[in-house]
Amino acid sequence: MLLAKNITKRFGQTLALDCVDFEAHRGEIHALVGENGAGKTTLMNIIAGRLRPDDGEASLDDAALPSGSALAALKAGIAAVNQSPMLFERMTWEENLALGGFETDRFDLAAVSARARNLAEHLGFKLPPPGSTIEERSMAERVRLEVLRALSFGPRVLILDEPTGVLAPSELTSFLDLLRRLRGEGRIIVLITHKLREALAVADRITVLREGSVVARTTPAETSESELARTMIGELPPLSLATPVFAGAAAVLSIEDVSLERGGHRWLDGVSLSLRSGEIAGIAGVDGNGQTELVEILAGARRADSGEIRLLQGADNAALAVIPENRDLVGLILEMTLWENVILARPLRERTTRHGWLDRSRAVELCGELLNRFRIRAPGPEATASALSGGNRQRLEVARAVAAAPKVIVAHNICRGLDLAGTADVHRTLADFAAAGGAVLLISSDLDELLETCGRLFVISRGRVRETRDGERDAEKLGMLMAGDWS
Amino acid sequence: MLNSFARAATALLLAAAIIAGVLLALGASPIGVFAALAEGAFGSWYALTDTIVRATPLIFTGLAISVSFSGALWNIGADGQLVAGAIAAGAIGPYLGGWPRPIAILILLIAGAAGGAIWGGICGWLRARRDTNEVISTIMMNFVATQLLSWGVHGPLIEASGAYPASTPIADSARMYAFFPPTRLNLGIGIAVALAVGCYLLLFKTSVGFEVRAMGRNRRAATFFGIPIARLTIGILALSGALAGVGGAVQVSAITHRLYEKLSPGWGFEGIAVALVARLNPLGIVASALLFGALDNGSQAMQRSQGVSAVLVQVIQALVIMILLAFDTRVFAGLRSRIAPATPTMRPAAGAPSDA
Repeated sequence: MLLAKNITKRFGQTLALDCVDFEAHRGEIHALVGENGAGKTTLMNIIAGRLRPDDGEASLDDAALPSGSALAALKAGIAAVNQSPMLFERMTWEENLALGGFETDRFDLAAVSARARNLAEHLGFKLPPPGSTIEERSMAERVRLEVLRALSFGPRVLILDEPTGVLAPSELTSFLDLLRRLRGEGRIIVLITHKLREALAVADRITVLREGSVVARTTPAETSESELARTMIGELPPLSLATPVFAGAAAVLSIEDVSLERGGHRWLDGVSLSLRSGEIAGIAGVDGNGQTELVEILAGARRADSGEIRLLQGADNAALAVIPENRDLVGLILEMTLWENVILARPLRERTTRHGWLDRSRAVELCGELLNRFRIRAPGPEATASALSGGNRQRLEVARAVAAAPKVIVAHNICRGLDLAGTADVHRTLADFAAAGGAVLLISSDLDELLETCGRLFVISRGRVRETRDGERDAEKLGMLMAGDWS
Repeated sequence: MLNSFARAATALLLAAAIIAGVLLALGASPIGVFAALAEGAFGSWYALTDTIVRATPLIFTGLAISVSFSGALWNIGADGQLVAGAIAAGAIGPYLGGWPRPIAILILLIAGAAGGAIWGGICGWLRARRDTNEVISTIMMNFVATQLLSWGVHGPLIEASGAYPASTPIADSARMYAFFPPTRLNLGIGIAVALAVGCYLLLFKTSVGFEVRAMGRNRRAATFFGIPIARLTIGILALSGALAGVGGAVQVSAITHRLYEKLSPGWGFEGIAVALVARLNPLGIVASALLFGALDNGSQAMQRSQGVSAVLVQVIQALVIMILLAFDTRVFAGLRSRIAPATPTMRPAAGAPSDA
């Protein structure tokens, strides 16, 4: 039995965990749910020895766990998989796994690879081709490799921090099956998530954290999705509605026959679609099917081999704002201040520049307005972007895109890792933007998100895009289309 | 700024304490050594002015490093760019006799800037258009500049008698305004400080400067926001080279009046240290160059009067840099985020609505 008693942890002024008790038993999947910042990750980091609690202690099968030692926790049988995969991008997956429990004394990569294959087969995983580096692999493959590395230690407790955020629907089912199989082996699985449907589907017991305290302990049989959501955030966010498509509205963006080939792989294959003002259109797809490349081309960061992208109505470049996928690496410059991040958007930079001179006070003022208007929780415009929580970083990015007054916003996986309230907020902002005559292209691998927010829906698979037909608007059929089954 | 000075002062004191320990262990008197160092750097009107003269080229190369490093372009070739500027100035200098002095000096400086800009710009072009690592190309261009200088003073630029490997002296009209002779104090320091202010304004007060810093912090993000990476890369390395090149021209115009081999004792490399100590802030570079100039200048007196090798000063310089970098809060912040990236830095206060 995994037991944590009376855990308290402060970060500076804020109380992240307040006398939290947590227990999970052998052979159970225990879901730990809560909004961003509720303290889920902090609690698990303490159990996994990555953080030292201010008070309280953890034990596994009655043996106390030394606090603040990740190595000791690992030796005691606790392995954790991070929210975002921590792998060495430039190294091969075998080399990455060699850092795990497959490691032999003599750094024998062949042995590592063989053991990994054994375990992968046992779990029903498909491994990447031999010798391929991490940077070439999709997020789902990275998560699988992380899980494999964690399991290589033969842990009694496996902690998974938001592992499913990056998985496609088709991958999700097999992933949940995997968790059940690991449970069957008598391990303790702790699943940190804010996806309630998943928690209800797979967990044996559920613990709900809110603002650093446990607010509920329950089981799937005793509760429902709406009740859990209410416990988790106190109130239900209003459901966002799909915006109506104005059939008569003129197209503002048209992508015509765009193709891109790189390294012998056809990333985009004759992509055509057009956006009309007032609509939110979606592109569903499993990561790595050309979405990133399409966004890069739309942002002007990459040139297509052929095809054309046209903004109509005499619009200039400022008419298109892109919210890229990775907010921490691409969307924001974390070491820079918030106002500097705001003027990264070219139209806003031009608005705060006079004869080449930056008008700093205007930029600060503009940033302050955005913080207020979009209810972004931040110490102020002079704070660095790294001081913001994930949800607030995403709000800042969306606010920046809207403030640039574009005709079209292209948003790529912007709600990944966001909690319910944050997601609802971002969707509401985009819906308001569309209602005011803007057009939104929402590219995502989250079908629930797309089905809830989008009017027209497209599917991307292996670089090809097509619009969905009537009768294809449900998760199952879309899942098949995303897998490339286009018959 | 004040904070930076405080940090630098602390590092300096800490370095001094370590050195004092070493000196004691060697049986020398730390107080005597430091007094001799200070005496040599500031002890007389002549010493003080010479400290400034020694700091001048370091300001130019420090600024060259500052603008390029701010854009994450690792220019290791400020030395070669300074020499290229000096060659251009030294080559044109003898022919400026007919010009009024302000104009002759201006032409000399422009020639120096052009020489350095070409040297840096080539590396910028290679990086932007051919994706050639600028660390390698700028280092290589150092050797080219050194050899070119050597060939020049042995060949086409050699002075009239042909007896010494040195170039024909530049015209009197192209010599920098000197103050308070016989000291070597000259207008070069004024030009250096003016350029430092200019670089500060460029980097922190203009839109282009912002783009450079954004590109320096996150090149990939910069491409997503329409920042013209290729153009900036060429521009920054050319500007960086020009700053070093002006430094070379000032040296020829104010101090050497001619070219000879080994013109630069490694100002381009010392400039990296100067810029790092100033955390790339152009205004801080003036102060940090003066510190390095003072240490250089005082080391001779220290060696003479205390019998301690002048090389000790290099140890002090190295210690100051290492201590500063070790306690750089940004370095710490980067390290922390690498250890625990999953931990958000801001959390809702207890009792506040959830983080939404």
